[in-house]
Amino acid sequence: MRVVFAALAGGLFGLGLYLSGMTDTARVQGWLDVFGQWDPTLAFVMGGAMLPMAVAWRIAARRRVAVLGNAFPPPNRSGVDARLVTGSVLFGAGWALAGLCPGPALASLSYGGVNGALFLIAMLAAMVAAPRASALLDRLTAPTRAPKGTAMDIRALTPTYAVSPQIEPEDLPAIKAAGYTTVIDNRPDGEIPPHLHGDAMRAAAEALGLTFVANPVIGGALTPENVAVQAAAIEAAGGPVFAYCASGNRSSVVWALAHAGQMPADELIAIPARFGYQLEHLRPMLRG
Amino acid sequence: MQIEWIWGLIGGLCIGCAAAAYLLVNGRIMGASGIVGGLVDGTAGGTWRERAGFVAALVAVPAVMAWAAGGAQTHVTGNVAVVIVAGGLVGLGTRMANGCTSGHGVCGISRLSLRGIVATVFYIVAGGLVMAVARHGLGII
Repeated sequence: MRVVFAALAGGLFGLGLYLSGMTDTARVQGWLDVFGQWDPTLAFVMGGAMLPMAVAWRIAARRRVAVLGNAFPPPNRSGVDARLVTGSVLFGAGWALAGLCPGPALASLSYGGVNGALFLIAMLAAMVAAPRASALLDRLTAPTRAPKGTAMDIRALTPTYAVSPQIEPEDLPAIKAAGYTTVIDNRPDGEIPPHLHGDAMRAAAEALGLTFVANPVIGGALTPENVAVQAAAIEAAGGPVFAYCASGNRSSVVWALAHAGQMPADELIAIPARFGYQLEHLRPMLRG
Repeated sequence: MQIEWIWGLIGGLCIGCAAAAYLLVNGRIMGASGIVGGLVDGTAGGTWRERAGFVAALVAVPAVMAWAAGGAQTHVTGNVAVVIVAGGLVGLGTRMANGCTSGHGVCGISRLSLRGIVATVFYIVAGGLVMAVARHGLGII
């Protein structure tokens, strides 16, 4: 069922790109060419697309879950960072050079010729390589954000459950020393370099006698299984639980959802908020 | 008003309805770079079928439309080096920034997301500057 509706959305997206002329690179480049023959069509396309979407966000704000039962994507709270700006500048440069962005590159695959296909292949290859480039950028910008060595930050939501931004294998002894017996990894491997992947962390954690649970939560695509796995891991833990993801936000969200109905929604929102995790948008789901 | 603008508006409304349906029914943000990126970099997990269905239809529907119309033109540059560099920049940039014209532009701005607005300003300004330099300065596109 999910696939059928995804295909309907994808097809309608393709139809819109075709009808609007956005698969014609001359038109897209015309929009960016403010010093040449400027073509305003793209503004009409973007404006036209935002109208139904603005209504959809208003409807989503009033509903608990989507029609097919999963939670709506939470807003990305990581704010404006170096990745967002650098990535957008690189994307804008490539967009101008070829007049293609990911949607139209796919939509025009059948009639874009060899060069259209070459663009797509280069784009997909770069997408696979992107996590490494992002990690490099993080390393370059890290000194201005936090001094190395103070990276680990245990944020105890309750005496038996703490969340944290990404940890290193070297942080595990300190986590054990702090009394935690179970470590939950809520970050998908695709976001991070290999030495932080679930398997590597599991080996390091289990070598210390810690229980390790991998429960990758895809940003913006939290599933009911994620919540169930987190709840089961907390339930089964012999002592305090330490969960981490990129910022600790996803680990807080699954914790709150796992306790929906068991604790007052006000508390499930107020506790993570002390550490900067804003869960207000989940309130309808946290009422249980 | 020119006829291209009207078709732009009609096509835009289709895109917006597609994004709205994907949000309200599937509960996901319709971002082309995120959907296809997750398929190729292995982060899709159990969502790969719905991503693949989305991408298949996104390719198939314009293919049928172009076939019915007796062909369509993308006017993509014949310069292979430019095409490959551009593809690389788009792939790398959209994944670093976590979104492209559909995710940050259509879905982000309509949600009044600061990240979506900032990303869109940066990629449009960068695109305009690169266009000015590459077309009017270097003459490569």
